Amino acid sequence: MRFVDEFRNAEIARSLGAKIAALAEPGRHYKIMEVCGGHTHTIYKHGIEDHLPDNIELVHGPGCPVCVIPMGRVDDGISIATRDGVIFTCFGDMMRVPGSNGSLLDAKAAGADVRFVYSPLDAYKLARNNPDREVVFFAIGFETTAPSTALTLMRAKTEGIKNFSVMCNHVTIIPPVKALLESPDLRLDAFIGPGHVSTVIGCRPYEFIPADYGQPVVVAGFEPLDLLQAIHMIMLQLAEGRAEVENQYGRVVAWEGNLRALQVMQEVFELRPYFEWRGLGFISQSALKLSPAYADFDAELRFEVPGVRVADPKACQCGEVLKGVIKPWECKVFGTACTPEKPIGTCMVSSEGACAAYYNYGRFARSRARAGA
Amino acid sequence: MNADLPLVDPDGYDAVCSLIDGCLVCGDVAVKVRVVEAGDPDALCEDGHGRRGTVGVELVAPVEVGDELLVHGGVAITKLGGGG
Ligand code: SF4
Repeated sequence: MRFVDEFRNAEIARSLGAKIAALAEPGRHYKIMEVCGGHTHTIYKHGIEDHLPDNIELVHGPGCPVCVIPMGRVDDGISIATRDGVIFTCFGDMMRVPGSNGSLLDAKAAGADVRFVYSPLDAYKLARNNPDREVVFFAIGFETTAPSTALTLMRAKTEGIKNFSVMCNHVTIIPPVKALLESPDLRLDAFIGPGHVSTVIGCRPYEFIPADYGQPVVVAGFEPLDLLQAIHMIMLQLAEGRAEVENQYGRVVAWEGNLRALQVMQEVFELRPYFEWRGLGFISQSALKLSPAYADFDAELRFEVPGVRVADPKACQCGEVLKGVIKPWECKVFGTACTPEKPIGTCMVSSEGACAAYYNYGRFARSRARAGA
Repeated sequence: MNADLPLVDPDGYDAVCSLIDGCLVCGDVAVKVRVVEAGDPDALCEDGHGRRGTVGVELVAPVEVGDELLVHGGVAITKLGGGG
């Protein structure tokens, strides 16, 4: 659409790269984390690292919502999906996430009625069109997709639809960032803030990062020049000894966020006391469940789910990848036992997952670099 | 075109999370669409490839024909172009 070309200009990218390099102190190593999987995708697809000096390292964070779903939740979902009379719906990527006993796609192959949808509203439509079936939506995503689940539930409540429910796995972005900041094995210098999560929550929630941890945050868009510009803004802050929240993506993100979306979420959801994140473990108040006013639509209450906890497969190092402790190619099974066609870990499933993004784009750039090109 | 068509090719879920456009529905990257028929709570919209579908617009209402929206999971979460 209209602003794509102007944000992919190679000339400007090179000049931004030079400005960034000029700001990097020789002998100092910079670690900048992009929280959001969309940014990880852009970084690998457009070879952003090729424009950066060697002492600036981009660390990939836990912002791919598919990647952070633990196996136990997949198993719980499958236990609902395999019941008689249920139509189980979810986003496409979610179908391939492995549980301890296969994925939702495997459950579908074995006869369960699992369907992918583009929107919870589509799942809701299915419920209205199939009054004799129970339609369940497996909701995932950060504050970007939570409003669409909330709106759908409000419509279902207003219209008195009884055969629709939601298994809620929505997560919130701030608690895992806090957990990473507290993590002793990771020392970061700054954050690239997620672009579209911030259209909903605004820029204010990040203010604790400079205030309490002295690190800059720049909310960024998804085009290559957006990211380079954000890195330039971060390097300027570091060079000038500032730590602030800045908004590079002002053409889309309002400082206050979308108040109506926040209101709707507040009505429909409440915080879970804790939630398990794949690889990060339990993080308190980091996920949403349906509020008491919407309890009738809660699939976990409607169907007894086993609530299983399953340890990640031994070979899988997704946790370290999600925390940015290791790079995808440092995982022992990367590209051999674990590929996008047959993922072992979740980071290989979605194209926003660091492992899949790297598998599809990054390894070429790396072999180019190794060949000295 | 049929107003009930989803915005992305419904055959083959791989299209949802395409390696070209990134993860369209579940991740942080939204689909950009233009309103072609205003309405509330749903408006008919068209994406950059000319595909049309209905989008929930309560969170950004009122919308007008020509408005550009960012859509997540079938619901618009912000209107573009205001801030420049
Ligand atoms: S290569 Fe596979 S198992 Fe290893 S971290 Fe990546 S997704 Fe997880």
